[in-house]
Amino acid sequence: MKGLFKSKPRTPADVVRQTRELLVFLDLHSGSRGGDAKREEKMAELSKNIRELKSILYGNGESEPVTEACVQLTQEFFRENTLRLLIICLPKLNLETRKDATQVVANLQRQQVSSKIVASEYLEANKDLLDTLISGYENMDIALHYGSMLRECIRHQSIARYVLESDHMKKFFDYIQLPNFDIASDASATFKELLTRHKATVAEFLSNNYDWFFSEFNSRLLSSTNYITKRQAIKLLGDMLLDRSNSAVMMRYVSSKDNLMILMNLLRDSSKNIQIEAFHVFKLFAANKNKPPEVVNILVTNRSKLLRFFAGFKIDKEDEQFEADKEQVIMEISAL
Amino acid sequence: MQQLLSLLRPRSAMAGAAAAAGGGGGGDRAAARYPLDAGSYRLLCKIGSGVSAVVYKAVCLPLGSAVVAIKAIDLERTRANLDEVWREAKAMALLSHRNVLRAHCSFTVGSHLWVVMPFMGAGSLHSILSHGFPDGLPEQCIAVVLKETLRALCYLHEQGRIHRDIKAGNILVDSDGSVKLADFGVSASIYETAPATSSAFSGPIHAPSAVVSSSCFNDMAGTPYWMAPEVIHSHVGYGIKADIWSFGITALELAHGRPPLSHLPPSKSMLMRITSRVRLEDAESSARKKKFSKAFKDMVSSCLCQEPAKRPSAEKLLRHPFFKGCRSSDYLVRNVLAAVPSVEERCKDSNQLCGCARGARCLSPCRHANSVVKNRRISGWNFNEESFELDPTEKTEPQPFFLYHDDDNDRLEHDQATSSTRGDGSNSPPSPPPRRQADNAEKRQEGEEALTAAVVPHLVTILESLEMQRTVVMQVLEGGGGGDGDGDGETAAGEEMLLGYVRQLEQRVQELSTEVEEEMARNAQLQELLHERECGNHTDSSQT
Repeated sequence: MKGLFKSKPRTPADVVRQTRELLVFLDLHSGSRGGDAKREEKMAELSKNIRELKSILYGNGESEPVTEACVQLTQEFFRENTLRLLIICLPKLNLETRKDATQVVANLQRQQVSSKIVASEYLEANKDLLDTLISGYENMDIALHYGSMLRECIRHQSIARYVLESDHMKKFFDYIQLPNFDIASDASATFKELLTRHKATVAEFLSNNYDWFFSEFNSRLLSSTNYITKRQAIKLLGDMLLDRSNSAVMMRYVSSKDNLMILMNLLRDSSKNIQIEAFHVFKLFAANKNKPPEVVNILVTNRSKLLRFFAGFKIDKEDEQFEADKEQVIMEISAL
Repeated sequence: MQQLLSLLRPRSAMAGAAAAAGGGGGGDRAAARYPLDAGSYRLLCKIGSGVSAVVYKAVCLPLGSAVVAIKAIDLERTRANLDEVWREAKAMALLSHRNVLRAHCSFTVGSHLWVVMPFMGAGSLHSILSHGFPDGLPEQCIAVVLKETLRALCYLHEQGRIHRDIKAGNILVDSDGSVKLADFGVSASIYETAPATSSAFSGPIHAPSAVVSSSCFNDMAGTPYWMAPEVIHSHVGYGIKADIWSFGITALELAHGRPPLSHLPPSKSMLMRITSRVRLEDAESSARKKKFSKAFKDMVSSCLCQEPAKRPSAEKLLRHPFFKGCRSSDYLVRNVLAAVPSVEERCKDSNQLCGCARGARCLSPCRHANSVVKNRRISGWNFNEESFELDPTEKTEPQPFFLYHDDDNDRLEHDQATSSTRGDGSNSPPSPPPRRQADNAEKRQEGEEALTAAVVPHLVTILESLEMQRTVVMQVLEGGGGGDGDGDGETAAGEEMLLGYVRQLEQRVQELSTEVEEEMARNAQLQELLHERECGNHTDSSQT
């Protein structure tokens, strides 16, 4: 195979090999800064190679990607530790090359070689790379690049499970409240992906980790003073609880009076968007056929206030589902 | 069905917005140094405003009072959902080119997102046109700004990014004549995968159906007059060549002071582009005196080729003879910037109604007063009238950092009262708030009458043009679907599409006729209010 193209144009595998050599060099010579001409030259060459990898995988303006070339590239890429080197060296690359590298890594997660996703197998054997990617949220310069790579990696169910079950899950509660909007939102997108993508895995995680997870979720996110944190969290809570696969978790959640109190406070939030998202969770408390006495108690105590609130609760757009839900909630509460 | 409606959606009316000064071109993000809290910035004055955002000139106190522009986006009012806002912020954070506006940082302040950007002293080209060159810029100046814009486009396209909203309003100029392309609200990356927008039961119920999700190529995006035919033919999907079309339209806009076909309502202008060609002469007839070089005409017409594949790439355009021997940015400073008032001055004009243009902490967005003034001046093409249709009507609670003007609240209340009569919650074209301060009353009454006079005929025109469109489409249908821009071959598919258009248009006509009726009723109501006040009756009119 290799012999065929010996001296002529480089094969995709050649490009991967050369990229790897350059990365190894960069990794070893990281200390020397400043006017190192040789290093500069290698850097430029590396940037060119990574861009070429990108154009093989995505095609360029004139041509579509060629399957055979992608397979060759993917095989060579995961045959050795190129992915590891690329992730570790990313902070040393310039902005444009970082972006190219991120896109290359993203694309590789979907490439198949003889109907197997090689990237998934590689990551399963190298899970510490995920630790590296997640810790990227602590470094402003690389957070967005590592964040994008991470979201692509957790497309693999086994990798998502690893992250869900790791201690990193606790860190996300900090990351999504970072002051920097781009980074906090990126972390939040990853968090949401982890908790909604692989249904069965998520259901299992939520059941096994119910206590600490929802206690953190309620106290740190739903009760946060930060508008964005609250708005994203209540939306995510709705998405999780309304998913059929999480019905056991949902039943447990809506049987708690503490949860109900948090939700009722969110209904009073000054933000209309938060109110509406909170309603989609609150309706589950009201619709629950087996309401525990303390939940009934709270609803009865606040009945007139709640009914008054719902009477004036409208959304801009006509939404039959919303109106129907509201009717049902009003009926349930009136009947208590 | 909603496609036409979504087309008419206002893409950021942030015309006068500012931004971006020098700094190092490439390399690492110097942005890290900008503090991420509101307390570190002092807002000086408002320099632009849109439907859900206001742009301020501000200083960053810890950085030696470095001048910046801050775009404050009201996340409660913006039609985009948080994911879309994030995508824009991320795009801006990851682009690095001297002709592309890059945000220093962004953070939230209450329910507002503050995007801190470099301050661009001369404002947008749209604002420059309307404040000093209503009939267009001299050709040599056009060459300078277009060349810089093309460099930005080359960069974006090489990045696999499509801007999707190229127009004079999104090209910003600094006081030293440097040019930057801004506003990535609808930009899309061809490397990005569509986000999973599944959300079991709840769905994005707060967002109107016309919302554009920026990562899907089949979505309508952009501002009607600059839109390429294949963007309008949204089912085809589109690539970077759509930007080249908009670039050509922008060239005409700079040459004439407004985009071609802008004398027609947006939907009409869109149909014209689907069925026919835009020619330089179309626009020229309105400014006969102007003579343009052959190179310019040739450059523009190459961009405005119906077939995307035949339009040149940004890189190729850069080598076009029109850009040979192009002047420097100093030329722009001497010949253009010298002739227009500063951004602050321009803003003062439109701010005078709220009297908050003076320094200090001018925190009141005063959207309303401002948009009315703006609207009337450029109603020929910006179509803020349409924008109000999608403006959320809920009354927002005053936020700790953004205390709204009394007027503003009045308007919201009033809108709510009237919107209940208009079923779909769509808002009406802007109407001045009923309650006014006494000293300004007279002046504003005049404004209200003028507005009433302007709005009704305008709506009637839209209605007429839609009727016309329908006739045109019917004719085309009967003639065998010959006018279909891209569908060479599948006539059946073309016909089906045209039928779709007809249905859409019919629906739209109906919607508009009810809207006109409601509008007339509303105007009558307003006139009555005016009359009441003239008689010295100062009852709380917002109740009516």
